[in-house]
Amino acid sequence: MTETLLSVRDLKVSYKVGRGTLDAVDGASFDVPRGSIVGLVGESGCGKTTVARALTRVIADNATISGGQLLFEGRDLAAISEREMNAMRWRDIAFIPQSAMNSLDPVYTVEYQLNEVLRKRGGLGRAQARKRCEELFEMVGIETNRLGDFPHQFSGGMRQRVAIALALALNPKLVIADEPVTALDVIVQRQILDQLRELQQQLGISVILVTHDISVVAYICDRTVVMYAGRVAEQGTMEATLTQPSHPYTMGLRNAFPDLQGAASGMLTPINGAPPNLALPPPGCRFAPRCPFAIDKCTTVSPETLEVAAGHGAACHRADEASKLRKLATRTETWMTTEMAEA
Amino acid sequence: MSHLKAAASRTLQLAFVLWAVVTMLFLMFRLMPGNPLAAYIDPTFTEEQQQALMAQFGLNEPLWKQYLIYLGNLLQGELGQSFRYREPVAERIMTLLPNTLILTFSSLIIAYAFGIIAGAWLAWRRGALVEKTAIPLVLTTRAMPEFWLGMVLLAIFSFWLGWFPAGGTRPAGANYDSLFALYTSSDFLTYLALPALTLAIYSQGLPLLLMRSNMLDVMKEDFVTMARIKGLSNWTVVVRHAARNALLPVMTSFAIAVGYQLQGNVVVETVFSWPGLGRELVNAVSNSDYPLAQGAFLMIAVVVILMNLIADLLYALLDPRVSHA
Amino acid sequence: MPENTMVESTRENIVTRLFKALRLPLNDPFAVFGLAVYAVFLLTAVFADQIAPYDPTEILYTPDYDLAADLRPGEQGHVLGTTSLGRDVFSQIVHGTRSALLIGVTAAFMVALIGSIVGLVSGYFGGWVDAVLMRLADIAFGIPFLPFVIVLAAFLEPSIWNVVLAMALVLWRDTGRVIRSQVLTLRSRGYVDAARVSGSSDFKIILRHIAPNILPLSFLYGSIAIGWAILTEASISFLGFGDPSSISWGYMLQDAFASQALAKQSYYWFVPPGLCIILVVSAGFFITRGYENILFPKLGR
Repeated sequence: MTETLLSVRDLKVSYKVGRGTLDAVDGASFDVPRGSIVGLVGESGCGKTTVARALTRVIADNATISGGQLLFEGRDLAAISEREMNAMRWRDIAFIPQSAMNSLDPVYTVEYQLNEVLRKRGGLGRAQARKRCEELFEMVGIETNRLGDFPHQFSGGMRQRVAIALALALNPKLVIADEPVTALDVIVQRQILDQLRELQQQLGISVILVTHDISVVAYICDRTVVMYAGRVAEQGTMEATLTQPSHPYTMGLRNAFPDLQGAASGMLTPINGAPPNLALPPPGCRFAPRCPFAIDKCTTVSPETLEVAAGHGAACHRADEASKLRKLATRTETWMTTEMAEA
Repeated sequence: MSHLKAAASRTLQLAFVLWAVVTMLFLMFRLMPGNPLAAYIDPTFTEEQQQALMAQFGLNEPLWKQYLIYLGNLLQGELGQSFRYREPVAERIMTLLPNTLILTFSSLIIAYAFGIIAGAWLAWRRGALVEKTAIPLVLTTRAMPEFWLGMVLLAIFSFWLGWFPAGGTRPAGANYDSLFALYTSSDFLTYLALPALTLAIYSQGLPLLLMRSNMLDVMKEDFVTMARIKGLSNWTVVVRHAARNALLPVMTSFAIAVGYQLQGNVVVETVFSWPGLGRELVNAVSNSDYPLAQGAFLMIAVVVILMNLIADLLYALLDPRVSHA
Repeated sequence: MPENTMVESTRENIVTRLFKALRLPLNDPFAVFGLAVYAVFLLTAVFADQIAPYDPTEILYTPDYDLAADLRPGEQGHVLGTTSLGRDVFSQIVHGTRSALLIGVTAAFMVALIGSIVGLVSGYFGGWVDAVLMRLADIAFGIPFLPFVIVLAAFLEPSIWNVVLAMALVLWRDTGRVIRSQVLTLRSRGYVDAARVSGSSDFKIILRHIAPNILPLSFLYGSIAIGWAILTEASISFLGFGDPSSISWGYMLQDAFASQALAKQSYYWFVPPGLCIILVVSAGFFITRGYENILFPKLGR
């Protein structure tokens, strides 16, 4: 196995809501090997974005990292001082946001915003910064004469490339991409993902790619971390998790998305119901209320992660029956019955 | 190109507004009760003067012709003769305009400098005790009659402490080689201080509240969060990104505020005997000096309308989303 | 009998519904303070004759038949002293509430009424009606308000109603524009078209479906106008274009200024009326702010 760059251990992030608290992330653990792309996938509200933001420690005013460790090259990001953390931001850990339109400052040119990180965070001189700007634009395939343009003068795909250039500016070790292609159309999505993959391999960096779209994971990720209701449901190599999913949620998720390649994968079957209210999570497995395979134990005992193969784990009581469940899960009726049972 | 077109259409629109105000003024002064000639001719003028004015304004022509002559005269800057000063209204107004503009701009610059900084700071300290007490306090300054504030400041700083003169623009008997010499003299500043402070205290509320609420909006924007994730300093995040964006509408409001300020000037100039347009308007109306009243009102209206236009153009200039479309 | 109770209950229903439609901001302490100030001033205005010890315009004499002028607060039983003409300051303050509230309420009513009608008609009918009304609003925005009131005073008899007239002529512009855009949003929702298809007349649609939804906005702009009216009246009276026969706080300030209150250090001539103006006007602002928080909760300030 390759060396681990980042190891998230039992991460817990709590939000203050009214008088109570809500654990948006409740004991998530996963690893990011050096030089790989890890897909963090799940429905909206599952805590994937919160995990991503917790890694930068720039989180909402009412949120706190209330437990666990974020071991980056062995250093616990959750424990270091704000000053030390700030020194690491963007130099070690950079971020590609979902909507580059809103995350680029509208009143400054793109060059100004690149210069800002290059000079203020990277300590480059004026001439060096200028050279680096051009280099970065060439890397992401934008003509350098557009450096002086304002964000609104770029198309959606171009802005996302600018965001990638910005993220790579200081040669970070880890890039967190939060839904980097969600707002784009499918063709542009592919171009951006291809570019991201190419640059990632060329520069040897690690990427955490946060997405709700399992086809994006299938397209470029090396590893998959499936999150559900603030916990990790399943993780492993991309091939293992997607061809041999061992958690019913992953099986359902796979049915619910079309292929990014455009190949028809038959009927899309949604998972019925909605994720649980995290202020009052159900006892036992959090997926149990929506799971077609739930047994009595699932509603009372919270499942531990079971290693189904080397480096492939699933937090499911019935993970050992996975191959049988997989067959059932490909049938649309299986997922209809939960709805019936619930109704 | 499209923003040039927008600017042109806005200019046309305001030209229309100006024409409408001019026409309204014409009708008001013509339809006023009593002798319609009274709007231009003082009975104490000599026969020749009266005849000259009759001819100049076509006062014995039908109304529509008078209207055309009126518009033609306006275009040439001809506003008639002041009854009281026995001099052309236009000249009188042009000597007063600088005083009014100096008072307006100096007070607004103070008000905006303070309001912008304080507003940004209050947004930063959102929810703190200072913020909760400051906002009602600021609203209270907006509830003060400006002239009353002027009276209070005069009572304290002029009559009680004796730090500043009680009114006017220069010491009695003082003479200056030029207007420039007057405006740059230290005496002038001591005369300017209290009226400017009065207007500034009244005006700071607008930029302050505007800046604060814009800041609160901008602080929620993604690019501010991103600036933090980039590890930029607090100063850079708050000032370079949040405040810079929040400032845009505040800067445009400056031009609008000039228009509003001219109204406040009317009373504050009166309190401080400041020889400006507003005080002249009041005096002219009190003395039934109709040509002068009309001219002063028109000048104020022109500045208000012009400032509306400048506000629009300024916005287009300052916001790259518009200027670099 | 049963018919009677039915009428009674529907009437009550309308009153409570109207009250609810106004959505008074009772959860904001400053707004409640503002409402309390309004209540106190309203009561003072109603019972001014009972509260004020003297006629505010009466020239008073001391027991030894001297003019009771320039008395300091507390002297000879005059709580706030007397003016240079020998009038009781406290009685003037008390009677000043009448003109302030009268002018504030009528001006606010005019502004809200005209603005709402213009906004409704403009937004609902659109087309050339909208174009004409909005050009009129543009013109109103080009008129400097206070100078306009002063020029108006040149032609009309000095009266506090000039201020109301000027406000009705000019200040409907803000209300009109805001209500218009609100009506446009309401129109874009389906139910107006639905009502029209089902045969309702325009008048009925406006009255039933649109007017109730803009009532709080009209009230908001009306309450802003109260403050404006009181401040404008004060300015106009201060400049000497007010009605000399009716006592207002602005008139008191003018009287004080003209009587050399500053040089004589007669603070009791101009501080009390000034504070009254600030109190009433800022009360209006606080209510307005409470309203905004209810009407536009997303602002969350």
